[in-house]
Amino acid sequence: MNRIVKTVIFALGVMSVTPPLFAEGETDLVVTQPTTPISTERGMAAWDRIYAVASHPRCANCHVDARNIPIWTDDATGMDRVHGMHINAGESRLGAEGLMCATCHMTSTRPNTIEHAPPHAGIPWQLAPVEFLWHGQSSVNICEQMRNADRNGGRDGAGLVEHILHDVSLGGFIAWGFNPGAGREPAPGTLQEHLDDMITWTAAGMPCPND
Amino acid sequence: MKLNVNGNEHEVDVEPDMPLLWVLRDELNITGPKYGCGVAQCGACTVHIDGMAVRSCQMAAGDVDGDITTIEGLGTPNAMHAVQAAWVEHQVAQCGYCQSGQIMAAASFLDVNPEPTDDQIDRAMSANLCRCGTYPRIRAAIKTAAKNLSGA
Repeated sequence: MNRIVKTVIFALGVMSVTPPLFAEGETDLVVTQPTTPISTERGMAAWDRIYAVASHPRCANCHVDARNIPIWTDDATGMDRVHGMHINAGESRLGAEGLMCATCHMTSTRPNTIEHAPPHAGIPWQLAPVEFLWHGQSSVNICEQMRNADRNGGRDGAGLVEHILHDVSLGGFIAWGFNPGAGREPAPGTLQEHLDDMITWTAAGMPCPND
Repeated sequence: MKLNVNGNEHEVDVEPDMPLLWVLRDELNITGPKYGCGVAQCGACTVHIDGMAVRSCQMAAGDVDGDITTIEGLGTPNAMHAVQAAWVEHQVAQCGYCQSGQIMAAASFLDVNPEPTDDQIDRAMSANLCRCGTYPRIRAAIKTAAKNLSGA
């Protein structure tokens, strides 16, 4: 079932507004491009918030290494453990070698309402590509990965912003991270704030803590 | 809505968020898929959708986008699927409650991995629980079914 949301675009003060770069769906996110240069300091502040999102269990637990084993986190204690049931997503990263992630994690834009049930999203459940390693990684490591087109899916700054919008238009994993449903702590901040931070960080030239 | 189950078209009048397992058992009286946990932790409700194993307790009826096969449609007593035949040969079942889910999971697994190792079987089948502990016989039966499916 398609998620039906509407696009809302409006001008805010001195900020200019750029229409979303995607066409497959619509989102209620507002894209505001800065009209004046963004300082490195502001860019780094935005990056710190992006890192808080990327390293949060809702996001990092499926951005795992080449062992292809997703992670579960006990939100109450913050303790990590490997996904139960001896799960291994394989080199396919979606379980095609034996047991598909989608056997239990449905592809559905319906709300996640049942605590302890496997969460679902609007795109087929899977691990992120292995080069997008976030779990257990430092701010520097994730920052270097995210700004490197060889390791981020070939995206420049605009591409990273578009990635968020495209994912949200499908009810994908970024949208899910901020609205994971019953029994799961969402990623910090809001989806709109995350989009704003990505726009700010990329406009600032994607600064990293080790620059 | 229309659902194709075991080759038969059914028109069902249900809420689109009703779990497929409920539709199968309560609306269509297809009771092979079992209710175990309701949260995809046990696998007793496993069916196929276009050949892929799916936990029917987690699939909303309105999200079904393919043909459904349950244990009733996998084979018949006179023409068993190779996995069912291997289950009989190895006398796998004890209480039997989880077994339709085990067999559906195994059949789907062998479709994509026709020559599995013990480790691959364990990885693919560990999300299907059996409180009787029939796991050694499940593994042996899967290996027999794999052999028979490949014609060895």
